[in-house]
Amino acid sequence: MNKQLLSKPICRHILPTALWRVCIALCVTLLVQVAAFAQTAADETLISGEVKDEKNSAIPGASIVLQGTAKGTTTDVNGKFSLSVPKSGSVIIVSFLGYKRQEIAVGNRTNFDVKLDPSSDELQEVVVVGYGTQRKQTLTGAISNIVSEQIKTTTHTSLAQSLQGKVAGVQIRQNSGEPGSFSTNINIRGFGEPLYVVDGVARDGGYEFQKINPDDIESISVLKDASAAIFGIRAGNGVVIVTTKKGKQGKPQFSYNMVYGRQSPTDVPKMTSALQWAEMRNDAAKNLGENPVYTPEEIEKFRSGAPGYQGTDWYKETLNKSASQQQHFISASGGEGVVSYFTSFGYQKENGLLKSGDMGYQKYTFRSNVGIDLTKNLKADLILSGLFDKREQPGDNFFNIYKGTRIALPTERPYANDNPRYPALLSGGYNPVALANRELTGYSQEVNKFFQSTFALTYTIPFVPGLRIKGLVAYDSNNYRAKSVSKAYNLYTYDAATDKYTAHTQRNPSRIGNNFTDNNRITFQGQLLYNTVIAKNHNLGATLVYEQQESHNRWAGLGREYAFFTNDQIDQAGLNNQTTSGSESEYASQSYVGRLNYDFKEKYLLEVAARYDGSYRYHPDRRWGLFPVVSAGWRVSEEAFLKQIPFISNLKLRGSYGLVGADAGAPFQYVPGFSLTGGGGYEFTNGNYTTGAASPAIVNEKLTWFKSNIQDIGIDVGLWDNKIDFTFDIYQRDRKGLLARRNVSLPNTFGGTLPEENLNSDRVRGIEFSAAYNGQIRDFKYGISGNFNFARTQNRYVERGEFLSSMDKWRGGATNRWNDVVWAYQLEGQFQNKDEIVYAPIQNGDLGNTRELPGDFRYKDVDGNGIIDGNDAIPLFFGGDPKMYYGVTLNASWKGFDFTALFQGSGKYSVRFREVYAEVFAFRGNTPEYFYDRWQQSEDGQWIPGTWPASRFNYNVGAMYAESGAWRKDASYLRFKSAQLGYTFNLGWLKKIGISDVRVYGNAHNIFTWADSFVKPFDPEKVEGLFGAGLTYPVTRSYNFGINVKF
Amino acid sequence: MRYLKHTLTLLVVLVAMSCGNVLDKQPLDKLQGENLFSNPEGVKLYMANLYYQLPTEDFTFFRQGFNWNTGDPNNGGFAPAMSTDEAVHTEFGDFIGNDDFQWWDQGYKLIRDVNILIDIIPTLDVNEEERKALVGESAFIRAYAYFALVKRYGGVPLITSVQKYEGDVEALKVPRSTEKETWDFVLKECDTAISSLGDSWPGGERRATKWVAYALKARAALHAASLAKYSDRAPISGTAVDQKLVGLDKSAAAEYYKAAADASEAVINSGKFGLYKPNPATPEEAANNYRLLFEDPNNAPEEAIFIKGYARPGSGTGHNYGIWFQPNQTANGWPHPGRMNPTLELMDAYESYDKPGESAPVSTSGAANDATDYTGFNASKQYKRFDTENDIFKGRDARMWATMILPGTNWKGQKIVIQAGFIKPDGAAQIMGGDPFTHNGKTYYTYGSADRTQYSGFDTWGGNNTRTGVSFKKFLNEGLNIAPGWNQCVTDFADFRYAEILLIYAEAIAESGTGDKVKGAKALNDIRRRAGHKTEIPLTINNVIRERRVELAFENKRFWDLIRRREYHTLFNNTMRHALLPILDLRVTPAKYIFVRINVPRSNPSTFDYRQYYRYIPGIGANGLVQNPQY
Repeated sequence: MNKQLLSKPICRHILPTALWRVCIALCVTLLVQVAAFAQTAADETLISGEVKDEKNSAIPGASIVLQGTAKGTTTDVNGKFSLSVPKSGSVIIVSFLGYKRQEIAVGNRTNFDVKLDPSSDELQEVVVVGYGTQRKQTLTGAISNIVSEQIKTTTHTSLAQSLQGKVAGVQIRQNSGEPGSFSTNINIRGFGEPLYVVDGVARDGGYEFQKINPDDIESISVLKDASAAIFGIRAGNGVVIVTTKKGKQGKPQFSYNMVYGRQSPTDVPKMTSALQWAEMRNDAAKNLGENPVYTPEEIEKFRSGAPGYQGTDWYKETLNKSASQQQHFISASGGEGVVSYFTSFGYQKENGLLKSGDMGYQKYTFRSNVGIDLTKNLKADLILSGLFDKREQPGDNFFNIYKGTRIALPTERPYANDNPRYPALLSGGYNPVALANRELTGYSQEVNKFFQSTFALTYTIPFVPGLRIKGLVAYDSNNYRAKSVSKAYNLYTYDAATDKYTAHTQRNPSRIGNNFTDNNRITFQGQLLYNTVIAKNHNLGATLVYEQQESHNRWAGLGREYAFFTNDQIDQAGLNNQTTSGSESEYASQSYVGRLNYDFKEKYLLEVAARYDGSYRYHPDRRWGLFPVVSAGWRVSEEAFLKQIPFISNLKLRGSYGLVGADAGAPFQYVPGFSLTGGGGYEFTNGNYTTGAASPAIVNEKLTWFKSNIQDIGIDVGLWDNKIDFTFDIYQRDRKGLLARRNVSLPNTFGGTLPEENLNSDRVRGIEFSAAYNGQIRDFKYGISGNFNFARTQNRYVERGEFLSSMDKWRGGATNRWNDVVWAYQLEGQFQNKDEIVYAPIQNGDLGNTRELPGDFRYKDVDGNGIIDGNDAIPLFFGGDPKMYYGVTLNASWKGFDFTALFQGSGKYSVRFREVYAEVFAFRGNTPEYFYDRWQQSEDGQWIPGTWPASRFNYNVGAMYAESGAWRKDASYLRFKSAQLGYTFNLGWLKKIGISDVRVYGNAHNIFTWADSFVKPFDPEKVEGLFGAGLTYPVTRSYNFGINVKF
Repeated sequence: MRYLKHTLTLLVVLVAMSCGNVLDKQPLDKLQGENLFSNPEGVKLYMANLYYQLPTEDFTFFRQGFNWNTGDPNNGGFAPAMSTDEAVHTEFGDFIGNDDFQWWDQGYKLIRDVNILIDIIPTLDVNEEERKALVGESAFIRAYAYFALVKRYGGVPLITSVQKYEGDVEALKVPRSTEKETWDFVLKECDTAISSLGDSWPGGERRATKWVAYALKARAALHAASLAKYSDRAPISGTAVDQKLVGLDKSAAAEYYKAAADASEAVINSGKFGLYKPNPATPEEAANNYRLLFEDPNNAPEEAIFIKGYARPGSGTGHNYGIWFQPNQTANGWPHPGRMNPTLELMDAYESYDKPGESAPVSTSGAANDATDYTGFNASKQYKRFDTENDIFKGRDARMWATMILPGTNWKGQKIVIQAGFIKPDGAAQIMGGDPFTHNGKTYYTYGSADRTQYSGFDTWGGNNTRTGVSFKKFLNEGLNIAPGWNQCVTDFADFRYAEILLIYAEAIAESGTGDKVKGAKALNDIRRRAGHKTEIPLTINNVIRERRVELAFENKRFWDLIRRREYHTLFNNTMRHALLPILDLRVTPAKYIFVRINVPRSNPSTFDYRQYYRYIPGIGANGLVQNPQY
């Protein structure tokens, strides 16, 4: 059977010749090595020994390699090893992660007691790269690495939050703090959302990545330049590689970690009190020429808080000051005999701020990573992990509830006649207290079940040193269920005269919906890995990979309406207005990967790699693409002339250039066809609805992935034994063939939508650096590290119709321009009096300046034509995403204490709110307190200046809400992001009862923020959100206490 | 070696599995044309999407476009009527913006889609009769689409077959035809439809028939005729005019009026249609009949020549008239009702039964300048006092009662309270705002009730209360509490109804001075008789236009009537629209109601620019077309 399979043609897609050459070269090298191995076997001697750490404990798994060869072994459970080496001139290299490497001349000795010293030298660190690992000192790509301990200094349910500010070039922005929303953007170097690879398999996006339990993670590597090309078609925005913890030989080690904390909003803008509101409302009436709404007597009552005039703080009525979060994590790891294992179970719970308690998030995770040495040369790895999480919300979304706390009038009360049985009907329609209550409004619930499994076999070929073969199968299943129950509910008004409550039904009829998604993905990988050393100085590594991935996804949704709400089961709802919908989709990719690493004496480094990638998405003739990368490095510090300068311990120059792809655009644009989705329907006879078939889209058989050329030049410097290290990168990514529709330049009488084509191009340019210093004074160890990244994107070509004029081109053009510029009016201050308004340029179209009042904003008439219009807007602001990111970490330890502090910031962007936060009396509701500081008229009609314009409804204003510096603000911020203080007990009696370590710690997140005073209360990091209203869930500050016990 | 073998086996198995056809996936959501068009039922699926795209000016037609009920349908409920003298919005005061009422890209998409069908028809395996019907239907759809284009833009590129893009953009550019050629094309397509289509469809489907095609032709020809006759009321100039891309010669009026008269007469003579309940006994009966006609046009198959249906609440197959335009009191939990406020201008247009043949402006006092005094309440003025909030409307055309919810009338089982304030016994007026007032042991509220949910007028809160003094009724279903969500309303819309055909006929006769004047007058008076009028009036253009305003109010005809007759710029020339305030007068016992004519509160004057008689053509950078004047 084997023969039959083998005799079949390997594949109908022939590997590109370059790859073949690599294969042939590799085979030749193999043969040479086999021959060499056979020849030298005779004159050898057997040496043995033991490897210990600084505390004289045995180190299992340390590596002993004969210098200049690939020959070596590892220590056993007791730290012992034996190895046969040539009788003369042998040098062995003993190394173990986290310890200084030792080179020992064998001489005539046969027994070695090696003691390793701990090392802070990160260069020896092993970094996970695509399909393998490399030592940091021989890396030629721009790759960052972060390990478990550094991640865990921050407590947050989102892994992304625990990474923020810690890794150079990883741009992270939290969009909201809502439990279970995981709405944090992850962006590598301004490129976009990266590809996520977990334990060697490409897995789904940021949402899943953020849910990985940080305690399960060994390390995260980020491929930031063309080194991502090894992942081909999906890696145009960089790659995040997560490696989970594996077991090590040794006794079982148990670890239990518990954290409890409280979260509260970083800041919340205050709304006006009843008194302030009444005064401003009267202003608005006055400015409209209407009668005041509140009499002076009523105003006085609001001031004194007379019965019925106490005012309501809706935020306080609806939300708690803080909410709790807790995490528990237990793991067992170890290994004995042929088996090593890491198993864990985690639980996280995060409550929402709603007083009703009807919002929250819970997550359960488990992991079982088991490695089995089936034979001396054959190893099996089985990785199983799962996640179950549940997110609960009341029947109305947080946006509406929060909006209620903003716009509900402070003069109104949550309950009619203050009777808690009768939630009140408010004039603005949003009673947040009622909306937040699931008993009234219903609820929505989302449940995810992820199951990921990987099975791998690795065979170390005995007769060819350095050659391994690996086969891997991974099956992932994601299951999503959502249920929403939207109940009709009553709000009440109360008539004191008759003592009657009148019910007003809201949101009738009640509805129920169930949605299901089932995603399945299967991955196969075959790998050939080879390492060798030729003539002592030439280190060579080669990797060949075949990979394919397929997925099948299905979605279905059900909905029903209630005549009368019975319970929350779909079969108990009515049959009217039932809805069902669903869809399926498939995905597949196929890839061949080859990589060759070469270095001469670890001084001159070269890496050449390529991935030949195929995607189901495109026409068979346009499916396959080759993505090559070449990178090189020069470790100048290894040169003799630099070795004379003792304080330079490391100096490396490196550069990379490569082509990466991006699998984009709707699939199957090459297949014509009519579709019942996308067309409109028609009622041919009364009550009989026919879903229409939409005409076929015009096909594009030429559509293909778009190409990213990534270039990176970097320098790594280490000084004074790498106590100080410094990395600087400058990079550029050029994308060509971005998707656009040619319609924009086609006559719009054509009538068809052209398919997407590879037309547009852009360029990202950026710089990035990081620096670190580590020092020690006796027992006191300290360190500081920082990182900085600045990147901007320029449109190189944007498909569009011809410009009508040079003015049109200047206004509307995008080509060769930064994509992040906002056009706005130049603010010239505020009108000081009526005369200024009369003589000012006309800024409100046909209405002239009839609606402007003293205190309103005036704009610069750039073209001097007496009219402020679109032609007066100029590019004034950076757009909505930060261009600059930076972070600084401080850490220190002294005896049992450890301390970490992280500062993080972003810059070069702006925010512009709409609605409640940037419009007086938006929705005719309550308004932020800052607007109280306003221009107003005294009794005798004199204008009294204030910060903000006179209070008016939006139908009575002129151009005051136009885009200008009055509303668009620089949102740059610096944040004391997190801090952690821990103490590890070292008590003998604990050890006696079997507890090796107890560490207690406290930490805090989002501690303090420096930002523009207007922006700060909204939290500058958060995006404006739906309608630009800024009504997303507040970003939270948390204080946590944790305990970690190892036994 | 054993293990190597096994490992190799595994690898080989993997490679073997991969070599199959991993990447050869098929789309799961595409249908092939040969399957779709193999059967008339399949053709119907394609037709459904074409009819859906017809630019029908119904409940989902807004200034943003057609079918405004998919995606996010929230446009604040600003209906086209609010760009005319029929109504104002409760909040928004904007008039006609340059980007409003555009229909270009979607128009050419429909034309492409119908051209695709026209190309396919000869290849279909259907019998001759079915083929002919498809030819007729596609001509009808094309006529409908080009009519919608020409009335917006003047002459447009006439694209009559599917264009193929083969890399040369220039080859796709088609210049504008003259406005005359475009109108003639529309009428010619109508003729093709008329000659190819049958009387009806076997299952009574709402598809084009000979008579629907006649109706379309009548409407289009009348539009063209008025343009030709009245273009000189608003002269414009520019390249587009020089090349006759916009504008029609006066001489063309006669042929178009004749075409309109002939087409409408064909419908009238067919004997297949008539007015719904043409002879009511009383005005009350007339009002109820008229209301029922719009509550469900399926009640009136004799009058509803062509119906655009709405099928299922929610999910883009219903519309939002029910939620936007319900008076505040019957909002049923919807936060933004009451947006349509019929103006005093429209109230004034209706006839009174005792004065046939003329509009009867609402009379609030005996003052000579009563109809033109909008300065607000004047304590010294001798206002007429009425017992109820709607007595002032007594004796006026039944259709007014069926088109608007008048103050103090019942709607959905409750009295709709619309009151702007009261006059205290000492003569002090408290209008729009202020505290409750107690007099003789009774408490009076400015807006007629203490509770915000128990009145429907003038309070600015929420923008949910009428600011003109009446609320909207036409098309709303009194028997149905509308669910407070998007697209919950499924009232059908009569796109062509017999009354409009009669009015087209009457107008064509009156304007052209030719044709059968007796028959023309009968057409006009038939409609009035159905509204409870007993006295016949002569056929004059003023009588026809007034009749159009009141009979077709809110059917989105007024906008185009003002355009085609070039009356917009005279009607809206720094013009305010007006409201009627019902005010409770406590100076007398028992209290009575007085009414005050005022400018619509919180509104601004509006002006119509000449250039807006044509919309600007979008995308001229790419299509290379001559732009319309003054854009």
